[in-house]
Amino acid sequence: MAGPQYLAEPARRIKSVRLGGITALFHRPSARTHLVGSPVPEILDALQETAMDANALLTFLQDRYEVADADPASLAARLAELEAAGLVRVA
Amino acid sequence: MTDEPSSEPGEVSRRRALMLGAVGASAVVSIRPALAQTAASVSTCEIPVPDPARAGSYIAADGSLVPAGTPGAFAPPAAPFKGEDVKRAMHGGQLPGTDYESNQAYMQYIRRLQRGTSGFTCFASLQMPRG
Repeated sequence: MAGPQYLAEPARRIKSVRLGGITALFHRPSARTHLVGSPVPEILDALQETAMDANALLTFLQDRYEVADADPASLAARLAELEAAGLVRVA
Repeated sequence: MTDEPSSEPGEVSRRRALMLGAVGASAVVSIRPALAQTAASVSTCEIPVPDPARAGSYIAADGSLVPAGTPGAFAPPAAPFKGEDVKRAMHGGQLPGTDYESNQAYMQYIRRLQRGTSGFTCFASLQMPRG
């Protein structure tokens, strides 16, 4: 059963600055800054063009990266954080 | 875009490692901007149209300020708008005391507010997600 489809905030709305292992994302519409670590940039990149549910996103990430801890619950936790921060939304 | 991963048999995978992190961990720390106002004060902040430095100017349909009496432009409202009223107008409502056209003109002016102009902080705070 497919869950909700997620879509990332368009990259043009975000100013991104890499700070070593952390990335600062300034979301212009909300004027909020989010300090994020991997796998957030990778997830936002994946959800830019195409909305995906958690299962499709997990498969996508596993195709593109070596995901050592491919746990759907972990990915769900990351998506919940991103939705709370306003960086992804349910499409 | 990242390179497509190699999938030839026998080749060492060159895909970058990625960790999703534990369920209880956090990968996002959100910082409220310094100019954020508390939810309780959003409704009481005000946006003057136009800002006091340009008092007396009329507002054109595109939100720019023009000399008083310019044909097709709108006289400024009698009083600043409350944040709550502007927030309502941003979601399909209408500013108090306006008709369709003057509402559009005032909202265009407000949307074009820049940092440093009176009302910018109030308007910026209206656009923030709640909480």
